Amino acid sequence: MEENGEKRWNFWGMGKLNPQSKTSVRGLLMKIWGSVNKDDPRPLLPLGHGDPSPFPCFRTTPVAEDAVVDSLRSAKFNSYPPTSGLQPARSAIADYLSRDLPYTLSPDDVFLTIGCIQAIEITLRALARPGANILLPRPCFPFYDSYASSINLEVRYFDLNPEKGWEVDIESVEALTDENTVAMVIINPGNPCGSVYTHRHLKEIAETARKLGILVVTDEVYHHLTFGPNPFVPMGVFGSIVPVITLGSISKRWLVPGWRLGWLVISDPNGILRKSGIVECITDCLNMTSDPPTFIQGAVPQILEKTGEDFFSKTIDILREVAHICYEKIQEIPCITCPNKPEGSMFVMAKLNLSLLEDINDDTDFCLKLAKEESVVVLPGVAVGMKNWLRITFAVEPSVLEDGFGRMKAFYERHAKKQ
Amino acid sequence: MERWNFGANREVMIAPSGTTVRGVLKKIMENLDKDDPSRPTVPLGHGDPSPFPCFRTTVLAEDAIVDAVRSAKFNSYPPTMLGLLPARRAIADYLSHDLPYTLTPDDVFLTMGCAQAIEVTIRVLACLGANILLPRPCFPSYGAHASSNNLEVRYFDLIPEKGWEVDIESIEALADENTGAMMVIINPGNPCGSVYTHQQLKKIAETARKLGILVVADEVYHHLTFGTNPFVPMGVFGSIVPVLTLGSISKRWLVPGWRLGWLVTSDPNGILQKTKVVDCIINLLNLISHPPTFIQGAVPHILEKTGDDFFSKIIDILREAAHICYDRIMEIPCITCPNKPVGSMFVMVKLNPSLLEDIIDDMDFCLKLAKEDSVIVLPGVALGMKNWLRITFAVEPSALEDGLGRIKAFCQRHAKKH
Repeated sequence: MEENGEKRWNFWGMGKLNPQSKTSVRGLLMKIWGSVNKDDPRPLLPLGHGDPSPFPCFRTTPVAEDAVVDSLRSAKFNSYPPTSGLQPARSAIADYLSRDLPYTLSPDDVFLTIGCIQAIEITLRALARPGANILLPRPCFPFYDSYASSINLEVRYFDLNPEKGWEVDIESVEALTDENTVAMVIINPGNPCGSVYTHRHLKEIAETARKLGILVVTDEVYHHLTFGPNPFVPMGVFGSIVPVITLGSISKRWLVPGWRLGWLVISDPNGILRKSGIVECITDCLNMTSDPPTFIQGAVPQILEKTGEDFFSKTIDILREVAHICYEKIQEIPCITCPNKPEGSMFVMAKLNLSLLEDINDDTDFCLKLAKEESVVVLPGVAVGMKNWLRITFAVEPSVLEDGFGRMKAFYERHAKKQ
Repeated sequence: MERWNFGANREVMIAPSGTTVRGVLKKIMENLDKDDPSRPTVPLGHGDPSPFPCFRTTVLAEDAIVDAVRSAKFNSYPPTMLGLLPARRAIADYLSHDLPYTLTPDDVFLTMGCAQAIEVTIRVLACLGANILLPRPCFPSYGAHASSNNLEVRYFDLIPEKGWEVDIESIEALADENTGAMMVIINPGNPCGSVYTHQQLKKIAETARKLGILVVADEVYHHLTFGTNPFVPMGVFGSIVPVLTLGSISKRWLVPGWRLGWLVTSDPNGILQKTKVVDCIINLLNLISHPPTFIQGAVPHILEKTGDDFFSKIIDILREAAHICYDRIMEIPCITCPNKPVGSMFVMVKLNPSLLEDIIDDMDFCLKLAKEDSVIVLPGVALGMKNWLRITFAVEPSALEDGLGRIKAFCQRHAKKH
């Protein structure tokens, strides 16, 4: 059919790629931002997402900026990068991570990715053989589910126990595993929980995974961002008990999520992942996809080797301070309870008690109204798999946090059920 | 003996070494004689002139990135997965210079290089479960991505005797009602070095319209023309047929390592919007990786401030190199060049193995050439044309002379005795 009436085109976007925005952090946050009152003269307080880089107190170290500038100006890194990453960058990451391991990683164990997000993508794709399933924690960083869904990889959820510092419920892991289960994912330090697992607990997880015949994927994007009694212990420490795939990036520790420089590392001294063909699979996936810009890769050695402890300590001190403020302030708001003081990452999970509130239906409703009335954004727990909880970011300027909680308290008082 | 439940996902392992330029070149480079340090390798196999000083990018582009990094305003995640608005606007303006209508920022999606724009395009169109038409010869990424997305590919011919023109009849013969998607046109051509005329592009547009399919225009070599035909973007015909334009700064600014590209809907009638193709693109972009924020932040400055003197300088070097390449090839009996290259960085030449002793085909030629003379060229089989070769001329002119000299010597050494 032509000219008169609609031209018929052979292509009609079927949208097999369905919008994931319902459950994505970004999608829900956009909806909540959308309900902010534009006529409110007060600044919007963003306590919903994990990116403190806009705040001056969270600016990255000049060492990192210099490294990128030097790399660019050298004009040695304008060419296409090699598929798995520039060798000096892979070496530098292997050395950096090996500092905390009882064995030495080789550069061949390290693959560069576009942020930790791409490391997640590649890992899930490499594991997603037909019929496979993976185990995710509940609550979980929502990207795992979105991406798994888009590649038809079945997901099963095990519980994290709020009464026990958000530790993995080992029994629920065992109950969910069958012969098609290939891996379990842990996020440590925890997003959204703010937990930091002990050596003992991580070892227990490793031994359980080994017994079940599954590998462990450990998301350590918040590596070393701990400010409580438990130090950061990488899962790779137990790499000889169970094969571990370690995901990470410079995004959080260096406060540069926009630079998109991450890694996927095989922490597997017994070479089991290589024998199973998974490493080859990862290499093939990377062959087909984009790579981080070459000059950013070129800056990695300098960034990892030359950043001083003072920069890291400074960041930890601020995080410790704001985590403390956050926990204290939550205690002052009756309708929110926090079972565990945050000890790491940039988030805390707080439980909402709807029975103390008039006319608030659930966590999403709470967040939408909070945004509208007080211009404060927090993430409803449904986005991370726990309805009627809230995920609050404390990685902001301390005054912003104080202000945010002040407004949340006012919101509570306005909506409190009259006795 | 422990038993593990996990194993590789074989479905993603599609023998990629045979399907990407990188993969094929890697295989050939493994044949280099590591014991011959006296002669540097001459890389005439891939499209990346950036290692050569004469092909260094403009300081202006470097400055733009440095300013963006130092400003500390671009360390965050970008606010949207579609690209920073100033960058999208700058690309819309930049491309609109050559179009009879104006693109808006909403027409522009940022990608990690043109490579990712190709990946996104194929994945979006694979939603239709239909088939797509690719030229032969073709840049192999298209076929590789189609294969990994279970999208059927059909090849139409480009006619060497007619300046690598699209064989319209072969397109019409291949298309059916399931050719939902598209045909891909690479102009200026990789690997052919051709530049299509306004008339040729219009005919392609009209044919696509008649068949009800859209056109994907890979214009990563946009404006890199040095012959008689000027660059004409396919988007000029966007009101005849919807066009998806793919491009990047990689080639014109000589920075393929910066990974900054775009996918643009050149579609003034809004058909891609109505048919939900745009929704598909947006949904997919929300799931994948994006260019670093500070590189996006540098885009307006790079596109708006780069002077014509930089562009002219590069064109002049390419023109000279293309000329050298063509002249030297004419001196080699077993290789013929049907068309002098007039754009991009490549030329396709035909190999006549019957004039050579003990060289079976193009792959054999390339493997032996690497081993004996440390010169790398790409065998045409990687692009769908066995017994052809793709030669890059975008290298320092002296390296080009050296390389072609060695190829000539190789051919003489292997010539059949009469």
